[in-house]
Amino acid sequence: MSDKQYKLTFCDGSGCLKNQAREFRQVFEEELQRQQLQQNVQIHLSGCLGMCGKGPILIVNPGYIMYGHLRTEDASEIVQEHLINGRPVSRLIIQEDHLYNRFFRIFGDSEFFGRQMRIALRNCGVIDPEKIDDYLAMRGYEALAKVLTEMTPQQVIEEVKKSGLRGRGGAGFPTGLKWEYTAKQTDPEKYVICNADEGDPGAFMDRSAIEGDPHTVLEGMIIGGYAIGSRQGIIYIRAEYPLAVQRLKKAIEDARREGFLGERILGTDFSFDIRICLGAGAFVCGEETALIHSIEGSRGMPRPRPPYPSVSGLFGKPTLINNVETWANIPVIIIDGADWFSSIGTATSKGTKVFALAGKVRNTGLVEVPMGTTLRDIVFGIGGGIPNGKKFKAVQTGGPSGGCLPEQYLDTQIDYESLAKAGSIMGSGGMIVIDEDSCMVRMARFFIEFTQDESCGKCTPCREGTKRMLEILTRITRGQGRPGDIEKLERLGTMIQKASLCGLGQSAPNPVLSTIRNFREEYEEHIHQKKCRAHECTALLTYVVQDNCVGCGACKRVCPVNAVSGNRKEKHTIDPKLCIKCGQCYDACKFNAIAKV
Amino acid sequence: MVTPMDLIRKKRAEAVNRIISKGYLSTKRVYVGMATCEIAAGSKDVMAVFQDAIAKGLTDVYLSQKGCAGRCNLEPTVEVVEEGKVPVKYGLVTPERAREIIERHLKKGEVIQEWVI
Repeated sequence: MSDKQYKLTFCDGSGCLKNQAREFRQVFEEELQRQQLQQNVQIHLSGCLGMCGKGPILIVNPGYIMYGHLRTEDASEIVQEHLINGRPVSRLIIQEDHLYNRFFRIFGDSEFFGRQMRIALRNCGVIDPEKIDDYLAMRGYEALAKVLTEMTPQQVIEEVKKSGLRGRGGAGFPTGLKWEYTAKQTDPEKYVICNADEGDPGAFMDRSAIEGDPHTVLEGMIIGGYAIGSRQGIIYIRAEYPLAVQRLKKAIEDARREGFLGERILGTDFSFDIRICLGAGAFVCGEETALIHSIEGSRGMPRPRPPYPSVSGLFGKPTLINNVETWANIPVIIIDGADWFSSIGTATSKGTKVFALAGKVRNTGLVEVPMGTTLRDIVFGIGGGIPNGKKFKAVQTGGPSGGCLPEQYLDTQIDYESLAKAGSIMGSGGMIVIDEDSCMVRMARFFIEFTQDESCGKCTPCREGTKRMLEILTRITRGQGRPGDIEKLERLGTMIQKASLCGLGQSAPNPVLSTIRNFREEYEEHIHQKKCRAHECTALLTYVVQDNCVGCGACKRVCPVNAVSGNRKEKHTIDPKLCIKCGQCYDACKFNAIAKV
Repeated sequence: MVTPMDLIRKKRAEAVNRIISKGYLSTKRVYVGMATCEIAAGSKDVMAVFQDAIAKGLTDVYLSQKGCAGRCNLEPTVEVVEEGKVPVKYGLVTPERAREIIERHLKKGEVIQEWVI
């Protein structure tokens, strides 16, 4: 068992006790002792959970996995499979109570999914996204019906506030507060926007969420429209996501036909409709004020805030903007309740977060975990660790706006505050794992090149500053770094952070500053010793033939500049003056006789 | 008065009936991943193999597409769900593998362990 602590909650209500709950707990505790796991678990007793018909009940955290109808003979299986192997026992999980639990019926038994908790992605990979019937069968649009039947707009906002949900687009602003501000505006014309402009390199959460379950986004938006008193919703999505757009269009048509969109929704006085607005794919358009300009037909450039969009947004009207993932959480909060939702996660960050796990990790993919899960759990648990026997070097979170965290931060819990304290951000959820073969300077350069490319150019610090940073980083990776470059990067970076107009500029230096902070020695090696320890910067490496060369001539044949010399069956040599470092000889050698130094 | 909640319950019951009438209770349900990523990995060809087999007379199988479940490095994925059994999820499915899944798993009930995720 890992060093992870499990929190076990046994229901000790009288209903469960009638069903031999105490006997079950006793057997369970004996089993824990037998496996010597007492140190790794905390045991709590709860009062009646209100599900007496399903007792005895055991809840395992993290993950909020609820087991029911337990028999004493199940105890050893739960201990072995869940607590030791990390695979929740899906046949014992109570299925019908919470929306997310349905997921386990199909996926719960695998190592990859067993550690996840899927709320926003609960239907992704489970239902046919093009069939509204599939969504309806999964209690789809029940949350909408619930708010229309029994809740006032104010009560909906209270529920969202109580849930503790915070914006999943990156900044983490409390969602309920945003809704409240927008609802308070007296202007009768208001807009609801879904920000589906996803531009982080390596991130694809929004696309997958929409492609896998488009109706849940619509449902969240309709509920938002009801809560703030809006009649019009807009989904801003990039044109590079044609399948997502196509599925959204179909979902909107189907929802209209069924009476979930349009005039007098489900026979009430509430009317709301949604249209799609295609973005051309500019990173800055994910920033809310730039996004609004883009919908209005202007160039996507940010403007200073305040006024915030909730006061003056699209066409100067109060506007509620949330990210895809935020919207996808809303129906669950309404059906399962704010209390349940806020029981997941940490003190300041509630619920789950979706990450796009990529880079040097065995299982790449989309994962959703409760807030408070550690980076180690994601990289080595769900991700399965680093392939090819390589060593872990860093994990980059938050995309081009985030930072690189080295090994000593692996036990950082994932929530807005802890990540910020560690020097990175949650961001929209990109997570790139870096192994020892990656050069951190090149990595920083890659991100700065991206933001420099995507800078809209409106404000000077971002437009000019990122350009200068890119120049310096390019020099360093080409072996032309000068003493003082690191300090210059730090000065420039801090200035850009402070003086830029929008989030793009304010966060652009993060990858550079965090790699300088955590991997300063690599910068110094590049500048002073002209050395790249990862052998990624071609200008700083030399190809040499080692003694195990058999003289087969394969390298000689592929070299485009005839830099390789040597007779057949004798050790070859590479002339460093002629070598252009294309690496073709390295790839061609079947004996691993060519080394990068 | 009919409330929105009454309406949605009725709609759900109708939806479930429609799903069942399309063969959901068939002995085996096959789901093919059809998100952008899955399609890029080749899932359309895999889907075609199953569609073809059904058109040519494969019975007792409910075929459906689904979105991305997040197993990027193992796509395309195909899932075979049978009531009361642990669902089987195959990774890196090619048209050839799909044909074999039809022959061995769907027709003979044999789980092809080496492709299971």
